[in-house]
Amino acid sequence: MSQPPVVDVRSLHVRFGEVEAVAGIDLEAYAGQATALLGRNGAGKSTTMRVLAGVVPPTAGTVTIAGLDIRKDTLAIKQLTGYCPDVGGLVPRATPWEHLQLSARLRRLDGWEERGRDLLERFELGDVMNRVTGGFSHGMGRRLSVVLAAMHQPQVLLLDEPFDGVDPIGVEATFEIIADARARGATILLSTHLRDLAVQACGTALVLRGGSRVAAVDAGEMSGEEGARAYRALLD
Amino acid sequence: MPTALSSTDDGIDHGPTTGDRRPGYVAAARRALGDVAILFWFRRQGVRRRHLARVLSLVFLAITLSAAIVPAFLPGARGAGRAFDILLLVPSGMAGILLLNMASAIASGGGRELISRDQASPYPISPTTDHLGALLLAPLNIAWMIQAWILLGSVAYVAPLDKLALAQVIVVLWLVFSTACGQVVAWAMEAIRRGPRGIAITRSLLVALGLGAGAVQLAGRTGPLLDRVPTVWFVVGALSGLTWRWALTAAVLVVGSVVAIAMGAVPAHLAARRMPRDEQRMETDQHEPRPMPRSVLGILIRTDRASVWRSVPMRRGVLVLAVGPGLVALFGNLQWSEMTILPGLVASGGALLFGVNAWCLDGRGALWRENLPTSPTVLFDARTVVLAEFLGVASMITVLVGALRAGIPTSYELAALVATLVVVTLQVVGGSLRWSLKHPYPVDLRSARATPAPPAAMVGYSARLATSTTFTGLLFSGSAHVPDWRLSLIIAIPCLMWSATRLLRTRHRWQDPVVRARVVSTVAA
Repeated sequence: MSQPPVVDVRSLHVRFGEVEAVAGIDLEAYAGQATALLGRNGAGKSTTMRVLAGVVPPTAGTVTIAGLDIRKDTLAIKQLTGYCPDVGGLVPRATPWEHLQLSARLRRLDGWEERGRDLLERFELGDVMNRVTGGFSHGMGRRLSVVLAAMHQPQVLLLDEPFDGVDPIGVEATFEIIADARARGATILLSTHLRDLAVQACGTALVLRGGSRVAAVDAGEMSGEEGARAYRALLD
Repeated sequence: MPTALSSTDDGIDHGPTTGDRRPGYVAAARRALGDVAILFWFRRQGVRRRHLARVLSLVFLAITLSAAIVPAFLPGARGAGRAFDILLLVPSGMAGILLLNMASAIASGGGRELISRDQASPYPISPTTDHLGALLLAPLNIAWMIQAWILLGSVAYVAPLDKLALAQVIVVLWLVFSTACGQVVAWAMEAIRRGPRGIAITRSLLVALGLGAGAVQLAGRTGPLLDRVPTVWFVVGALSGLTWRWALTAAVLVVGSVVAIAMGAVPAHLAARRMPRDEQRMETDQHEPRPMPRSVLGILIRTDRASVWRSVPMRRGVLVLAVGPGLVALFGNLQWSEMTILPGLVASGGALLFGVNAWCLDGRGALWRENLPTSPTVLFDARTVVLAEFLGVASMITVLVGALRAGIPTSYELAALVATLVVVTLQVVGGSLRWSLKHPYPVDLRSARATPAPPAAMVGYSARLATSTTFTGLLFSGSAHVPDWRLSLIIAIPCLMWSATRLLRTRHRWQDPVVRARVVSTVAA
């Protein structure tokens, strides 16, 4: 790669008390590329995503996004990123439109309303935009989380389990979001258990195991029967 | 809470493959009792600070024993003066406990959950188990404990020494009976509320009850009514010593408690078969978009306000808290100087609705919110403002209702009351946010029965809040008798500075990303 990576993670460690959730992950992600984070439960995917989103500080190691240090420039990094968390990610007694308003105000966006409406329609959430999200199904919640992550067209799009429990229309809409982001030069990190979908959406795949990176391969190598066998071998 | 057929409804080990698979009532009750024991054990496993829980249990036991014995040896005990006055009040006190048990269980939609709805959903937990669990948790509440201690203490002060132990047995049986009755009424109200036109019916009932109480008070019939409360019969029985009369009283209470506990299961089953309308309505309500607030703080406050006022337990709880003590003050003809006790009571109760775990308002949205580019101090300030206004508004409503018959206050009475209101609000907000940071819990406040922390933690919080705010209320009650308004101001300034310093310290700690990550990850779990 001639260009420097937008997301550059070196020897990342995250500890929660006695538990080491991430044990020395290295990761680079480039502009205009989508990278999949694959691995079993507890591999450290979501914790890594939380670090990149500025939600959890790293215990050790360096993390830079667009040249900014996550420890020193957390607020600036939050401006650059759009984050769909792995669990929920929605304020239960606010409506989708109120979520968009909150995000737009805190990110100082102007003229965002049309894009907001369009995204809600694309994810088939237009008719529930004024309903509190506490009554949403899991899939609806996931779709809205993707909308919220993508609404401000971030330079780095962090999608943690965006396909979990989502119907095919939601999956298609998420693919479109990823494709749009790549087309405008954004960096996408996608964490998922669903290898097939990750292969379709991403060019590169990183496999994590026990809090460490065990492989960085071209996503194509993970496709088909052969890819499934290779993936399984990496997980065991 | 019940989400599926229970082991009590459809037991695996006693379910034949054909014919009627339902166990008998006795078998069902036995299974429900077994389920309660299992759930209670499960909850106990989750207690984080076991040592502290053990110490608190011993403290509770020590206070209870002291309340039941020590007053008997105080000067004036069993005398003709104050002891006789207290004796006359004991039947009213017992009736009051019954009413408060009912009100508290009704407000919490049938009592608290031994296990939350989400956690319970994969398991076959029956409404009977749920009912028994709520009954078991009812005493884990500082308001319940204080009532119990006052009643035990009052009886210890008036009962002859040789009859004290037997009298206290009747008091304990009364506490069990009144709690069980409160539960029956609460489940019945919940079943009605969830039925057709249920919300209108329950509201009409409450208004009619309020108007009835008002009419009795205005007609000056409160005293004669209290003189005729049926609890007099139990007091006479309690003080009879080892006689047939005592045995009859005890037997009536034991049988009554068993019947009430068993009867509670009937409306609990009925309520479980119906959808919780309030919660359902809240989750499907449409809220038309409003214009964007001008500032970041403005939109954060608006979001937090929505989280508070669109929650069933908070709306219901704050209504009971704001209006209930105000009505008691109104009917009890409380004077301005005595009203200083009210803001602390209401603010403490309000904090127990969500304030002691204030970051749980965002639920799983906390992770997304934490990624939004804004200063953590602005988030903290918004939550502080919303909590303070929630507590302040509730306290003000109470005072306004209570003041309707209190006449025009003097400048020093007014100064004392305003000072109390401001001081306890800041005191409670500071304490709540400090605990929210120190001990966050993942809690879903959708259910009317939800509490922001586990039962044992709630007891600890309520005890600490009750102690500090009662002390403040009494302090300003004293200053309200001194005919100089400046005294209250002079007392208020150091109190405010102390609470503000502690609040600022908590705000500073919130800026630490490690602390914030722990809170956010926990409440979103």
